[in-house]
Amino acid sequence: MSNEMFIARATRTEMLESGKSNGVVTSVLKSALKAGIVDGVVATCPVNGDRFSGIPVLITEPDDLDACAGSLHCSIPNLSRFVKEYLDGSASMRLAIVGKPCDLRGIIELQKRHQIDVDNVYLIGLNCTGTISPGDARRICQEELKIDHRDILYEDIDEGQLVVTMKDGSKKELDLWNLEETKGYGRRDNCRRCEYNIPTFADLAFGKWGTEESKDGGVFVEVCSSKGKNLLAKAQDSGAIKVENASKKAISLRTEKDSKELERAKWWREHDFKPILEMPLADRLEYWIREFSKCIKCYGCRDACPICYCENCLLEATGDYLGVGRIPPDATFPLTRLAHVADSCVACGQCQDACPMELPLTKMFTLLNSQLNEIFKYEPGVDVEEGPPLSTARPEEMRVDDTFLDLAALLKRATKPEKASE
Amino acid sequence: MLKYEKTICPYCSCGCGIYLVIKDGVIVGQEPQSDHPINEGGNCPKGRNAYHFLYAEDRLKHPMIRKGGRLVEVTWDEALDLIASKLKDVEPNEFGLLASGKNTNEDAYVLQKFTRAIMKTNNVEYCGRLCHSSTAAGLGPTVGSGVMPISQLDIEDVDCLLLVGINIKETFPLMEKRALRAKAKGAKTIVIDPRKSATARELGDFHIQLEPGTDVVVINALMKIILEEGLENREFIEKRTTGIEALRKYLESLDMKELVALSGVPLKILQESARAFAKAKTACVLYNQGLNQHTTGSDGIKALASLALIAGQYGRPGTGLCPTRGQINGEGTGDMGCLNVFYPGFQKVGTGAHEKFEKLWGVENLPAEPGLPYTKMIQQTKFLWIVGTNPMVAAPDIDRVKESLASKELLIVQDIYPTETAELADIVLPAAAWVEREGIHAYVDRRVQKINKLVEAPGEAKPDWWIVTQVAERMGFKSLFDFSSSRDIFEEIRECVPPYKGITYERLEDILGGIQWPCPTEDHPGTPTFFTDAFKTPDGLGHLQVVEYRPPAEVPDNAYPYFLTTGRTIFHYHTGTMTRRTSKLNAEVPEAYVQINPQDAKSQNIKDGTILTLTSRRGSIEASALVSDDVPEGLLFLPFHFSESCANKLTNPVLDPACGMPEYKVCAVKMEVSK
Repeated sequence: MSNEMFIARATRTEMLESGKSNGVVTSVLKSALKAGIVDGVVATCPVNGDRFSGIPVLITEPDDLDACAGSLHCSIPNLSRFVKEYLDGSASMRLAIVGKPCDLRGIIELQKRHQIDVDNVYLIGLNCTGTISPGDARRICQEELKIDHRDILYEDIDEGQLVVTMKDGSKKELDLWNLEETKGYGRRDNCRRCEYNIPTFADLAFGKWGTEESKDGGVFVEVCSSKGKNLLAKAQDSGAIKVENASKKAISLRTEKDSKELERAKWWREHDFKPILEMPLADRLEYWIREFSKCIKCYGCRDACPICYCENCLLEATGDYLGVGRIPPDATFPLTRLAHVADSCVACGQCQDACPMELPLTKMFTLLNSQLNEIFKYEPGVDVEEGPPLSTARPEEMRVDDTFLDLAALLKRATKPEKASE
Repeated sequence: MLKYEKTICPYCSCGCGIYLVIKDGVIVGQEPQSDHPINEGGNCPKGRNAYHFLYAEDRLKHPMIRKGGRLVEVTWDEALDLIASKLKDVEPNEFGLLASGKNTNEDAYVLQKFTRAIMKTNNVEYCGRLCHSSTAAGLGPTVGSGVMPISQLDIEDVDCLLLVGINIKETFPLMEKRALRAKAKGAKTIVIDPRKSATARELGDFHIQLEPGTDVVVINALMKIILEEGLENREFIEKRTTGIEALRKYLESLDMKELVALSGVPLKILQESARAFAKAKTACVLYNQGLNQHTTGSDGIKALASLALIAGQYGRPGTGLCPTRGQINGEGTGDMGCLNVFYPGFQKVGTGAHEKFEKLWGVENLPAEPGLPYTKMIQQTKFLWIVGTNPMVAAPDIDRVKESLASKELLIVQDIYPTETAELADIVLPAAAWVEREGIHAYVDRRVQKINKLVEAPGEAKPDWWIVTQVAERMGFKSLFDFSSSRDIFEEIRECVPPYKGITYERLEDILGGIQWPCPTEDHPGTPTFFTDAFKTPDGLGHLQVVEYRPPAEVPDNAYPYFLTTGRTIFHYHTGTMTRRTSKLNAEVPEAYVQINPQDAKSQNIKDGTILTLTSRRGSIEASALVSDDVPEGLLFLPFHFSESCANKLTNPVLDPACGMPEYKVCAVKMEVSK
């Protein structure tokens, strides 16, 4: 069954007037809260009105959702960690989680690992073509746009353009792709390489692609599950939104936009990976060892990672796996993380964002991830039923004797060679 | 209710932002704050474990008075009444107060006001005496101000970094990030350090691995090379400095071979370093305890400032000598006048400052003579009030410190834990810490940021300023200390300390990353760069200094054949009170270690983990060996965070005559394998 696609419009007009949002997502969430389908909404909200300081929030009162209306492109909240660490993995309440593709993919990976509940969670996805770190965004405002970022009403990133609309109604534009190529900064580098613009693995995937030619705005929504269908229906029933079927033209426009972004991501992947892949192996190792040597063992990458979830991490100083008290730590530290996480990395970039020494961690993870996933035909973060290949065994693999550090088994086999011939 | 609340890390003075996650009044976690301009989401190991110290089991929760040799819990009234009655008839010179680099500006202001206005003495000091007093003494005569003259953000744009006696990778990791950015853009880095520190390994294009205590020799050699090769900035020297003739003449008189021999640094490295520094368009000098903590610390700083001056490296973003204060309020407590020679705002004792403050405060007979410096105060006062500082681990020659503290008529210790110092106290007062109260701090680059109260203090613990105000009231001075909030105090600070005039609580709430003082008016953006037009000396010129080398007060001999130097690790903080109560940090380095060169280790069959006894003329400690070529032969390194292997039992309390700085960085020891 293919997913249904609609153009949705909010019936309430205040949202539209604020200019920050079409109000559709907010209306759907409000009606979900009002109808008691969910107990809370996890969203990203500006701090003191600062759009470059968005943090994860749990909202339980429908009216409080207004403060979170509109997408923040220069905030980088860690939603999966928020839900896992501070909301008990949604075990005790039903949550609608609103996020970018990578946020939701992180959540799906945690659902696979039983750290976030599946049934209690509704995933509300928003199209995304990249975010800008708050620091870089401020620099763009100062150096490129010559504006005070606190005067921004809202911003958008589309087709490589950053468009900011100021509170006085004026607009400023910047060619982000050009900035990234010429000055080396712009969107976060994991975003530049990202191949997930439309979160079809959510229950509902919202975005403006496909509405460009519509006269009275609206939001494109793809219904990706029965849960999503239910949410949308509730919002329609309550009169908060109206929907119409998306036209073929709208759908193809959306697909075209997506393809163009995917092309761009491919270009960035080649741009970032080629120099490494072209290095002789010894140089490649030296390159990474040099980067690892900057590490100060803060554990920021591990703590931020939605895939790293072990309660008793063997990399802790209290364990006896890794030497203690020295910086940089042994390369075992990043390499263990790589071995544990690489097959499931969703390229959310949170590890690199948290790294005080600016190690190019997402480059390392995405590079290995892209190679592994080609071998295993595995896409992390899109299907809760599909386990990570490096820790999920197929039946035929289960028939192979486990030799990993199982010394007793090894010895047994060494003394009983006849077993091998069985 | 779950909430992310912004605050600033409680450890070093970089001033990094973090989010605390607070659930029902308790901190349950912390998250990166990606929008903070200093750290942009990254934190060091201490910063990533920022809040656990608050929840240590042995937090002080109630006031205590020593009764029958034992500290007994009492009410606040009993403790405060007792202090007020004991202090009532004390002579000015009998009293002293040690403030902290961790208290807020509001706390510090009230502490010094109490000492000056009620106790009528300038016997008020803080740990700044032990880390950067040589900075004031060295930079005062040279450029007229001992504060960091730039914004730390500018470090990433320089094309030469000179790091002197500073291991930023471990002590200011978020400055290391900026240094790495500069290096990635091609900046050259010169590291002057007797140890091959983590910083020297990572950044040092040139590592000047000098003999301990020969900083002046090296700096003179660098200047001599620059002048001999004509690499000095003549225009800058001409327009902005004075004293070049005397300096040139003196340096000409020095024999380069002798400088090389004394410092143990190959001529080639000195030459290449001098050229890299002199030819840089923008060069930044960061320095810290490795330069400061000598009997010649102020000399070294004078020479270093002269080096920057002849190269024209002052007065532009990123340039100049940057002293790096190690505590969140290392700058601010000094700004507020917790120094024996400065009223608030660095208004010097003896220059009419007392008259000015008599008017401002409406009091008479404020002290006009300098008070005692930190270590002398410990020795010479009879009534000592110690707030948030731990001299029983931090001061040199601990065995003597203990004798002095134990013999006080009254020792009041106000802290958050039963520290080694509190154990000796007659009265112990529990203080609120960090996000348990509100207030401002001035971070390394004069960056003023505000801490909000986010959780309640444990038990009956109170803010430092509240405690002092209560005692003042009981001594009959309510009108002088009529403060009901930190905001009340800050408003008085704005009146009395001109550089803070334009800073308000509201502005600090609004501006991420705070405001760099001086900020004269409420519409002033703050001042990132100093000395752009003139130096702060009376004539506005940089005063080049002729500095002669003097060896350390104690050097190795037959009886004590090793140099000992002390320092930090990235996982611990100062006297360990906070980090050793933070399990993840303490698990990294749970005990002291002595770094020893492999050759020295071999001579006594010492291996990693061998227990060594180190003995100096003052005392003796045990610690386990860590064999490492970080240290050259003949040099031992001992971190000072561990009270049970207390480095300061060994260190030499002899002072720099110019500023009262003890010679922590060099003393002579003997080393034996423990039986």
